[in-house]
Amino acid sequence: MPSEAKNIAASEKTRSVRRLLGGQIAIPVLVVALSAFGVLMVYSASFYAAETVCGDKFYFMKKQLVGFIIGIGAMAAASLFPYRKLLKLKWPALIISLVLLAAVFIPGVGRESYGATRWIGLGPITIQPSEIAKYGFVIFAAAYASENPERMKKFVGMLPVLAAGGGICLLVILEPNMSITMCIGLLMVAMLFLSGVKIKHFLVILIPVVAAVPVLIAIEPYRLKRLYAFIDPWQSPQGEGYQLIQSLYALGNGGWLGVGLFNSRQKYRFLPFAESDFILSVIGEEFGFVGILLLFAAAGALIWFGIRTAARSRDLFGFLVASGITLVYAIQVVVNALVVSGSIPPTGLPLPLISSGNTSLIFTMAAMGVLYNISKSAKRAPARAGGFAEKRRAGAP
Amino acid sequence: MLIAAAFLFLVIFVRFFYIQVISGAELRYKAIDQWTREIPVVAERGKILDRNGAILAGNITSYTVFARPNAVKDKQHTAHVLSEIFSLDEGELYEDLVSAKVSELTVVRRADAALAEELAAYDLPGVYYARDNTRTYPYGELLCQVLGFTSTDNEGLTGLEKYYDKYLAGMDGEILYDTDLVGVEIEGGNAAYLPATDGLNVALTVDKDIQIIAEEAMADAYLTYSPVSAQCIVLDPSNFEILAMVNYPGYDLNDVPREDTDLLNSLTRNRLISDIYEPGSTFKIVTAAANIEEYLQGNASAFSLSKIFNSSRTRTVDGTTIRCWSNHANGKHSNQTLAEALNNSCNPCFVDIALSLGKQTFYDYLEAFGFGKNTGIDFSGESQGMLIPESAVRDCDLARIGFGQSLAVSALQLACAGAAAVNGGYYYQPRLVESISDGGNIEEGFSPVLMNRTVSEEASRTLASLLEGVVANGSGSKAYIEGYKVGGKTGTAQKYENGAIASGKYVSSFLGFFPADDPKYLALVIVDEPQGAYYGSVVAAPYAKRIFEGIIEVRGIAPYE
Repeated sequence: MPSEAKNIAASEKTRSVRRLLGGQIAIPVLVVALSAFGVLMVYSASFYAAETVCGDKFYFMKKQLVGFIIGIGAMAAASLFPYRKLLKLKWPALIISLVLLAAVFIPGVGRESYGATRWIGLGPITIQPSEIAKYGFVIFAAAYASENPERMKKFVGMLPVLAAGGGICLLVILEPNMSITMCIGLLMVAMLFLSGVKIKHFLVILIPVVAAVPVLIAIEPYRLKRLYAFIDPWQSPQGEGYQLIQSLYALGNGGWLGVGLFNSRQKYRFLPFAESDFILSVIGEEFGFVGILLLFAAAGALIWFGIRTAARSRDLFGFLVASGITLVYAIQVVVNALVVSGSIPPTGLPLPLISSGNTSLIFTMAAMGVLYNISKSAKRAPARAGGFAEKRRAGAP
Repeated sequence: MLIAAAFLFLVIFVRFFYIQVISGAELRYKAIDQWTREIPVVAERGKILDRNGAILAGNITSYTVFARPNAVKDKQHTAHVLSEIFSLDEGELYEDLVSAKVSELTVVRRADAALAEELAAYDLPGVYYARDNTRTYPYGELLCQVLGFTSTDNEGLTGLEKYYDKYLAGMDGEILYDTDLVGVEIEGGNAAYLPATDGLNVALTVDKDIQIIAEEAMADAYLTYSPVSAQCIVLDPSNFEILAMVNYPGYDLNDVPREDTDLLNSLTRNRLISDIYEPGSTFKIVTAAANIEEYLQGNASAFSLSKIFNSSRTRTVDGTTIRCWSNHANGKHSNQTLAEALNNSCNPCFVDIALSLGKQTFYDYLEAFGFGKNTGIDFSGESQGMLIPESAVRDCDLARIGFGQSLAVSALQLACAGAAAVNGGYYYQPRLVESISDGGNIEEGFSPVLMNRTVSEEASRTLASLLEGVVANGSGSKAYIEGYKVGGKTGTAQKYENGAIASGKYVSSFLGFFPADDPKYLALVIVDEPQGAYYGSVVAAPYAKRIFEGIIEVRGIAPYE
C-alpha cells in the first residue's frame, strides 16, 4: 500500500476512534471501571465485619457483585433505549417514585435500620426508593420543562416541578433521611435553574429551602449533636465524634500511598459503615492520598463527560436529563467526600457506584446508560456546530 | 457548573491532602492505641540476698489469667473450664463474661504454674494468661522490718523493698497484638513482643547467720522480760556494714497483717533507725572518748587516766543537784580513775568531764560522733535524734548529756558512735546494701564511705581497752567470754512520758564489741521496758554475749593466745 494511502487510512482510523469517544464511550467505560473497583473495595472493607457478623466474608461482596451484573445489564439496556421515549414516561416515573417512597411507611413492607425506615423489603430483596426517586424526579422535571419551555418562565408554570420535588423531599425527610433530602433539594434547585426559571421565582423557592435547613436540624436533636461533633469531634471521641474520628484515623493511616489493598486497620470494625457511607475512608487508607486523587480524577472525568454530553445534547430534554443525571452523581460524590474528610457535618450518603448498596448501584448505572445514549445522539464537533446549550446561551428564544 | 465543580474538587483535594499527608502521622499515632491490645509481661523482681548470697527475698513464678469477654466465643464453656481449674464461682464468672462491662476481666491473679498449664491445654479464645511473680521470703520473719514487703502489684511498700525499688522493680514488658474493635485478635495480625527487663539483685551487708543468732537472742529476751520490744543491731566497726538488725516482735513477710493498720505500723517499724530514746550510760563511751582525745592533745581541762575523781555522790550545777544512780555508801564509787568510773558507770565523773571540757569542745565531739543528724544509712525514715542546740544548752543540760541524759538518739546513731569510738576513730556511713547486680555482673558496688574522724587511733585504743575492762571487771561482766577480748558498756535509762519520768519504765541496753583491740563486731542490745529486772548489765549484756558467742561459732573465730 502506498504510504499516502496508509496515512489516510490511519487518519480515518483515528477519526473513527475519536468518533467513538465523541459518542462518549468513556462514560460506560468509566462506570464499569468505577463499579468494578467498588465491588473490590466493598469486599476489602467488609470481609472482616461480614465474617464476624454474618459468618460469610463475601456477604456484602456477593450482593454488590449481583448489583454490578444487573447494573451492567441495566446500563446496556438504557444505552440502547432511545432517551426521547423517556419523555412519555414522565408521569409513570414520578408516580412510581412517590408510590415507592410512600410504601416505605407501610408496616411490614418498610424495613427499618438504625432508627430510620429507608428500605422496602420484598422477600430477600431490599430496595431503597429514594435512590430511584432521584432519577424519577430528573425524568419528570426534564420532560415537564422540555414539553413547553415557556411555562417554566411563569411562576405557576414551574409549580408542578416544585411540587414533585417538594413531595419527594417530604417523603424522604419523613424516613428520615436528611442527606438524601438535601441532595434532592439541591438537584431540584439546579434543575429548575437549568430549565430557565426566572431568578425572582427562583428565590421564592430557594429562600424557604435555605430557611428550612436550620429548622430540620433543630427538629431532630441528633442532627444538632452531629453538628457539634463535626465542629470538634475530639470532644466526644466515644460518642458523636466517634464516626468522624474513625474516618480521620483511616485517612491519616493511609498517608501518601496507603497501606495497600486489603490492609486497612480501620475496617476491623473500628470504622462504622466502612463498606457503605465511609468506603472512601477505607480507599484512602489502603491507597493513600494518591489513590484518592486517582479515584477523583475518574469521578471528575465522568462528571466532565456528563457535562459535555449535556452541553452537546440535541434538545432541551436531553440537556436536562443529562444534566440531572450528572448532577445526581456529582452532588453525591462531592458531599460524600466532604463528609468523609470531616469538612461538613456527617450525614449518611453513599459514594455512588462504589459504596455497597444495590438500588443505588443499579439505578446509577442505568442512569449512566441513559447518559451514554444521549451522548450518542449528540452533535459532533461542538466547537463549530455548537450543541443545544450553546444555542440557548447564544440567545435563541 | 464546571467552575463550581472544579472548585469543589480542589477543596476536597486540599482537605484530603491536609488529613492524609500533613496530619497523617499524628492521626496514625493516635489510632495505634485502639488497634492493639497488650498482655503484660511482668518483669521478675530482683532478689534480695544476704552478704553470702542466701536469698532473703525471691519470687515464685505464677500466672495471672485475663479474659476479654468480647473475644470469648463460647462463654458457657469458658466459664465452666475456668471455674473448674481455678475453683471460682461459675455463675458469677459467666455473668461477668456475658455482661461485658469491662473489656478486660482479671479472672485470677497469681495462679500456680501447674494450673496455668492446665488452662493452656484448653486453648480458650479470649482467655489469656501472663507470667507474674509472687514475692516470697524464704525465712519468713527474718529481718522483716529491714526487708519490708511489696504490694500485690509487686511494688516495694516498706523497708529495703521500697528504698531500692527502682533497682528491684525492673521494667515490665508487653506483648502487643493487633485486634479489632472489640479486642478480637486479628488473624495474621502483627504481634510485637517488648521483653521485660528483670529487676536487679540487691546484696545486703547483713549476714543471715548472724541475723538468725541475733533474732533468737532477742526472742529469748522478749520471752524472759516481756518488754515492749527487744532490739539489736550488729555491725562491723571497721566499715560500718550492718550485719544484723532485729526488732522483736516481728511478723511473717509471707503473711503480712495488711488488714490491721495499727498493728502493721507497729510491727513493720524499724525502731533501731526510726525511734529515739534516752541512751543513758552507754553514752559515756562518747564522753570518755572526748576526754581521752582532749587529754592526749594536751587540753588541760581534760582528765588524765590516773586522775582521781571526786567521790561525792552529787554535783550541783546551775542550782540543780545531779545524783549518781549508786548511793556511794560503804566506799562504793570512791577514789575512781576514768577506768573505774566506766566500770562503775558513775554519773558524777562524767558530769565533771562534760563541764570541764566545756560546751564548745564537747559539742564538737557530739558533732563528730554524728549526734543530731542523719547517719545517711540507705533506709527510709531515719530519725536525727534530739540534741539541744549548742546555742541553747545550759550547764545543767551539758552535765546530764555527759552521762547520756537530756538527749535522745536512735539506736543506729549510738551504735555508729560507739563503733567510731573504738575502731581507731573512723566514722563511716552505715550501710545495709553491699552491691547491686544483674545476677552475674555487679552493676553498682558500695565501698565504705568515711565521713569524718572522731578521735585519734591512740585515744581509740585506750578507750577500747578501758571498755574491755568494763566487761572484764565492771558492770559489763555478764558479756564476758573467756578467751575473747570483749569490750562494752551498759546502759539503764528511765523513760519519760509526757515530760516526766515514768516510774518503773526503763530502757536497758548494752553496747559491746570484740575483739577489743581490733573490733570486728559491735552489738547494741536494747530491751525496751523489761519486766522484772531493769539494769542493762543484767537484762541486756547477757544477750550481747549470746550473740558474740554465736558469731564466734558460725565464723569459727579462734580465742586469742
